[in-house]
Amino acid sequence: MTIVFDTLAKIGFFFVLIMGLVVVLIWMERKGAAFIQDRTGPNRASIGGVRLAGLVHPVADVFKLLFKEDVAPANRHAALYNLAPWLVMTVAMSTYAVIPFGDYLTVAGRRVPLVAADLSVGLLYVLAIASLATYGVVMAGWASNNKFTFLGGIRATSQMISYEISMGLALMGLVLVFSSLRLTDIVAGQGDLIWGFLPKWGVVVQPLGFILFIVAVFAETNRNPFDLPEGESEIVAGFHLEYSSMKFALFFMAEYAHMVIGASLIATFYFGGYQIPWLPRPLIEANAGLILTLKLIGVALISMMIAMLFFRRAQKEKGKFGDARDREPVLGAGLWVLVAGGALAGLVLKPWTIGPVGADMVASLLQVMAFVAKVVFFAWLFIWVRWTLPRFRYDQLMHLGWKVWLPLGLANLVVTALVMAIV
Amino acid sequence: MAKLTIDGKEIEVPDGTSLFDACRDARGEDLPHFCYHPDLSVAGVCRLCQVEVEGMPKLTIACNTGVRDGMVVHTRNERVTRASKQILEMHLINHPVDCPICDQAGECGLQNQYMAHGLYDTKVEKVDKVHKSKAQVIGPHVILDQERCVLCSRCVRFCAEVTGTGEMGIFNRGDRARIGTAPGVELDNDYSLNTVDICPVGALTSRDFRFQKRVWMLKAADSVCPGCATGCNVRIDHEAGRIYRLKPRYNPEVNGRWMCDKGRMTYKAVHDENRLGDPLVGGKVETWDGVAGTLAKLVGEGGFGLVVGSPYQSLEEIHLLKSLGKDAPLSGGLADSGQGTGDDLLQDADQTPNRKGLELLGVAQHDGPALADLIRNAAGSVLILGGDPAADPTVAAALTEKDSVIYVGTHGDKTAGLAKVVLPGCMWAEKAGIFVNRNGRLQEFKQAVARHGNAREDWRILSELMTVRNNPDVPGSLKGVRDELAGSVAADVDLNKLPARGFLPGGEAR
Amino acid sequence: MSFEGLPKGSGDKKRSFLESIYLWEVLRGLGVTAGHLVRNILHTDDMPTMQYPEEKRVYGGRFRGRHRLMKREDGSPKCVACQMCSTYCPADCITIVGGEHPDPKIEKYPVSFEIDLLRCVYCGLCEEACPCDAIRLDTGIYEIAADSREKFVVDKDFLLTNDTDGTF
Repeated sequence: MTIVFDTLAKIGFFFVLIMGLVVVLIWMERKGAAFIQDRTGPNRASIGGVRLAGLVHPVADVFKLLFKEDVAPANRHAALYNLAPWLVMTVAMSTYAVIPFGDYLTVAGRRVPLVAADLSVGLLYVLAIASLATYGVVMAGWASNNKFTFLGGIRATSQMISYEISMGLALMGLVLVFSSLRLTDIVAGQGDLIWGFLPKWGVVVQPLGFILFIVAVFAETNRNPFDLPEGESEIVAGFHLEYSSMKFALFFMAEYAHMVIGASLIATFYFGGYQIPWLPRPLIEANAGLILTLKLIGVALISMMIAMLFFRRAQKEKGKFGDARDREPVLGAGLWVLVAGGALAGLVLKPWTIGPVGADMVASLLQVMAFVAKVVFFAWLFIWVRWTLPRFRYDQLMHLGWKVWLPLGLANLVVTALVMAIV
Repeated sequence: MAKLTIDGKEIEVPDGTSLFDACRDARGEDLPHFCYHPDLSVAGVCRLCQVEVEGMPKLTIACNTGVRDGMVVHTRNERVTRASKQILEMHLINHPVDCPICDQAGECGLQNQYMAHGLYDTKVEKVDKVHKSKAQVIGPHVILDQERCVLCSRCVRFCAEVTGTGEMGIFNRGDRARIGTAPGVELDNDYSLNTVDICPVGALTSRDFRFQKRVWMLKAADSVCPGCATGCNVRIDHEAGRIYRLKPRYNPEVNGRWMCDKGRMTYKAVHDENRLGDPLVGGKVETWDGVAGTLAKLVGEGGFGLVVGSPYQSLEEIHLLKSLGKDAPLSGGLADSGQGTGDDLLQDADQTPNRKGLELLGVAQHDGPALADLIRNAAGSVLILGGDPAADPTVAAALTEKDSVIYVGTHGDKTAGLAKVVLPGCMWAEKAGIFVNRNGRLQEFKQAVARHGNAREDWRILSELMTVRNNPDVPGSLKGVRDELAGSVAADVDLNKLPARGFLPGGEAR
Repeated sequence: MSFEGLPKGSGDKKRSFLESIYLWEVLRGLGVTAGHLVRNILHTDDMPTMQYPEEKRVYGGRFRGRHRLMKREDGSPKCVACQMCSTYCPADCITIVGGEHPDPKIEKYPVSFEIDLLRCVYCGLCEEACPCDAIRLDTGIYEIAADSREKFVVDKDFLLTNDTDGTF
């Protein structure tokens, strides 16, 4: 019974993480794109005049899409048409079952591993599920009964097939190094140090494999420069052209969920997952009190600095708009002062005297935070790349996948195997 | 013959030619002028056509000078151009220059002369001008603006010489001189709108056309007036599917430069509210596709028992009607239709455009009782092509008895009310064709405006009926009809390329 | 990487090794965009974006905005329906129907005067052509919006009122 409860709690954690990140990522995407292009970005939606630097926009978008008319093509294949967005979304979420987001957490004396399903073939599971996502896209493209969506579906299929191979080959090298298909083993293996100072991260032992993998992941998520299935300039919006309202929103969210998964996979396979370099778990647990104290002080200091920035802006822009928007900087300053105050108040509880149970929790918390931080960074990388690179042409995409990435993947595998055999 | 030199160019003209005409031949364009008109007497009042004749101490007006052998004339030297420029300035002294509201703007002699010879700054302040009566209604068709008048007296001469009615005159002297009608006299003759045509400025304008359209927006199509058997050549001025006016087109063999007021109003029938825009079956509006079944039933089984044409249809249509009817009895419609009063100028008592065309194709017309008998005795459906024969009560009575009458018409007239099937045809301005005028002259009219509603050209309707009858002679185009027609009326002319003055079978001798 | 099938000209330049492996150029590109990002985050105020409804661009005095019809002293339109403007108009957006004015000194006046603002190209040739100074584009209004095409066809009364609040 407890294992069911544990698993449900872990699923809940991932659901909250993905959904929360989707909202944040949409905001990051729009605002980041704007800043990269020297624009201001979304800054109009507000709650009572408070705009939260555009963070209200994703919320407003959700409401808009919820209440929008669901326009569907007359000659669609109704069942597949309705199923497709759910399939895409479900597949995107289910990859998370095997991704470890922490080592373990001791709850009431039980060691609960922080992974929903610690499969011995986790890596194969990841590859299998990733292929399934294609089905949603193809179904959407075909069931819409529209030439453009159909083209989008076909593009998605050929693209996924092409890049799944190099993705699998890249991962094989990793499997050779860590001798396991189990994701927890791979992450745990990355906690070691090579020659006593270099973290044994995937990116260090498999640099070529990392490049192959990250490009393949970009292609698998249909993100720029590999977003040919959408291809606005040629095929309007590709496979989701005929979707509107909440069904479109599901595709939209699935794209960001895929990004989160892609980022998680990159972090898990090549950047040590939840591992904090040079800070193995025993070390954290031994110095938990000190770390927690330092952390609280650090949070308080940084929050105060941000609050100061807001305060300065409030001084500078006094009465700029003449309405509720003028209160925003003050509000921001207040919020960060509150955070700082909270952190300082935590010091009153004497965190340096923390016990072993607390030390365990601190260690798990830090690991989860490290994992989330890595995921957010790589998700940002997705966005960053999108607003930097132009889209590939289709022949370039195929050329890269089959003539460059596949031989490189094979070479990487062979070399890795030779090295492993010799060492 | 007289040999003379104009602007250094030697030219030979018959004796008695006016110097004005000789100058036109030599120059390739008219001298500047207002009062001169080839169909009117010489007045010599505008003084614009002054030329220098060597040996004459002063400049002389070309219109009132006859040619003489050995004359040396200059029309473009500085003395002449300076003179015409100064004369034009005099003409403009009291002109209101209200071109923005003047209907003549765009086809105004004063504007044209100014653009060609004037182009100077005015020396006269607006306040100093002599004001006269504006927007004065002087007849049923014509409105007068005395301020714009340049006193060329063309209208006075027209009324005196062409119509002989003499309504117009010049009153007062000097800068108070004005054109007008005597008290109690209206410019009310059948040709009054010709004064508007010949008025070189905007003094006389048409009440019908007043403020309707600026003339430069109009497009023109050559046509023939359908008002009577004379067949005056006209120009249809139209824009955006609407006809705005008819103007006479020069044809020395038919109407010269004139046409009657009644003929100018014939275009109004094209935009009549009573026009048929859709096929009717039993009085109900139908589509062309919808009416096909009824036609197949009416015509496909029993065939035609009688086909009736009319003198309002073009030559091609009557010819098609003949071949459509095959062996069925054929009538040219009512013999007494379109009878009015004529005069000795242009108007004919026969107010149908193509009665001669019926004669040419050997289609006999009938009086009311005879046509009624033909209808009653018809074994099969009756096809009536235009002409509204039901205007005759005996024919109407006969048509009432028949329930298989097909009427190809343009307006919701009596026959349309009695026919089982009514097919909307085109008015003359909406289609092309040939009318034969009272002298037997074949004259082509061209399409000016788009067809009204869902109406179709009559030859097309007839050829569709031929298809229903499985008649192998279905023409593919109007050109095909004409080629076929040419053999039966005039072997020595291509009906698709009739001369601009029309074609008179048997030669131009009158 | 070679790129066969590219249009002639784009592949002419010899690529250096770093350029040919593409990844280095990708990183450089990321550097460029990151530069923009950081600069814009640190200097939010220098951004060229204009907060439109609050801030408005100021145009010069010769800016041609929405049309207006000039009035006589009695408030009637100066226009005499000469249709010079509609003749001159390159966009064919002016439709005038003339009519008989009771005063023979004025003689002609526009019964209807319509401008299709969607067709208009705001070239100002109508005010050049007008002999009566009856039409001008000097209102400075450039916010022209409506929720149907029909509402963009503005009539004589609208053009005479010459309102400047930018709404229809």
